[in-house]
Amino acid sequence: MKKILFALSMLVLSSQAHAALNVFVCEPEWAALTQELAGDKATLYTATGALQDPHRIEARPSLIAQARRANLVVCTGAELEVAWLPVVLRESGNNTVLPGSDGYFETAQFVTMLEVPTRLDRGEGDVHALGNPHIQTDPRNFLPVAEALGKRLAQLDPGNAAHYRQRLTAFNQQWRAAIAKWEAQAATLKGVAVVVQHKGFPYLSHWLGLNEVEALEPKPGMEPSAAHLAQVLATLQKQPARMVLRAAYQNERPSEWIAQRAHIAAVVLPYTVGGSDKVKDLYGLFDDTIARLLAGLQ
Amino acid sequence: MNALEFDILLPAFFAGLLVLATHIPFGMRVLQRGVIFADLAVAQIAGLGVVIAGLLDLTDQPLLVQLIAGSSALCGAVLLAWIERNASEVKEAYIGLTFVLAASLGILLMSRDVHAGEHLQDLLVGQILWVNNTQLISTAVLSAALLIVWHRLHNSQNHFVFYALFALAITASVQLVGIYLVFASLIVPALATYQLQRRMTFAFGIGIAGYVLGLLLSIWLDLPAGVAIVWAMALIGLLSALLKRTG
Repeated sequence: MKKILFALSMLVLSSQAHAALNVFVCEPEWAALTQELAGDKATLYTATGALQDPHRIEARPSLIAQARRANLVVCTGAELEVAWLPVVLRESGNNTVLPGSDGYFETAQFVTMLEVPTRLDRGEGDVHALGNPHIQTDPRNFLPVAEALGKRLAQLDPGNAAHYRQRLTAFNQQWRAAIAKWEAQAATLKGVAVVVQHKGFPYLSHWLGLNEVEALEPKPGMEPSAAHLAQVLATLQKQPARMVLRAAYQNERPSEWIAQRAHIAAVVLPYTVGGSDKVKDLYGLFDDTIARLLAGLQ
Repeated sequence: MNALEFDILLPAFFAGLLVLATHIPFGMRVLQRGVIFADLAVAQIAGLGVVIAGLLDLTDQPLLVQLIAGSSALCGAVLLAWIERNASEVKEAYIGLTFVLAASLGILLMSRDVHAGEHLQDLLVGQILWVNNTQLISTAVLSAALLIVWHRLHNSQNHFVFYALFALAITASVQLVGIYLVFASLIVPALATYQLQRRMTFAFGIGIAGYVLGLLLSIWLDLPAGVAIVWAMALIGLLSALLKRTG
């Protein structure tokens, strides 16, 4: 009897050791990164899909249930999820994943933020006081985030610390090599003038040296004025752009409008893992992004 | 106004004219029948059709999506005609309920397929400044066909004929200019010219003036175009209703 109990308890323990951490992830790109770093030691739940706007999602009981059983919450932060995550975490009643605790991880804290406003004015629309939160469009941002996330995983699950350390080293190496490859492929994109549908690509532009001349919808989620569109067209007459960029989850009408009028290519970028059929993981995300940008040049 | 600005406003203005062409006569009938919110109900049912098309993975065929939206709207028309015939006294309640049920069912279905939700959003919040020539031409052809049928069967007491034409017009116009402008174009001119001589002329005057003023305000004051037109049309309508009273 004792033997059976012992065997059963070992079984339970080993299945727990198999997936030691329940991780609640806000966006697909961080789920992919956590997957790279944790392998089979973590069970992931991703709150938003690639074709959803992470600014606004509907709160569902399943979100709260998943947050309740999480050991770790991995989100972008910088106010990207401010509309729904605080409510979900509060309703979950799970004190170990509240902001400030070890079980709460914000990726934006580990990268240099762009577009941090010097003056706070909510009149400018969906402005983020902590800077633009769409940090996942620059692959270099994944290095410091991976470093910190790897350490956090080891801290929360010390039994598997060696495993996490080893995977982190491997990721670092592969990722640096991949960045070098992408930068070589994208050399011709340097200085290319582009229009963006919304201000969602500052990190991508900063990385590749794209020159963002105008934004179609300067206030996200709000219809632009005719005056603003006239200004965009006037700018494009003086400073012609090669393409207009939008994220896969956005409406195609604004991009198509400017593409027809200014005779430029409309380029849809996957924006995150799952944003196009080809993007199955983080490597695919940037392979596809670069390929689509290069196709837009032609 | 410079050439660039004119170039941006012209397609939007044509879109407005197309919407007014069908919505002013329909709006008068809607007002007379007391089914003001039928347009919201029909638009939601058409949107529901698009959500279902999304669930069936058909969204990459735009023509098919339009056919599905149109057929859903026609099913809505059948329902509205049935309500009109069988529950005439409480029809506003039934129409309101239809709207809420269609909208809620859309959200229920979307909770399984988030991509479909984006399409519903596109369908309901059409933005007037983004209209392209393809949309203008197809809506013009549809509007002409609807108006011809409407004139042939103008005096028909068949509820279904009216609701079917109305449903198809709404499905097209909502995608062109969005639900707020559809509602304003339908109600404001009809309401402001209520019990007026030469009603049709004045109604078109108010509608067209609303679009012109709203678009100009969008240029001059840097305002979102759709909502600026809604307010411009409402103010012009109010002004002319007051003038009618004093005059």
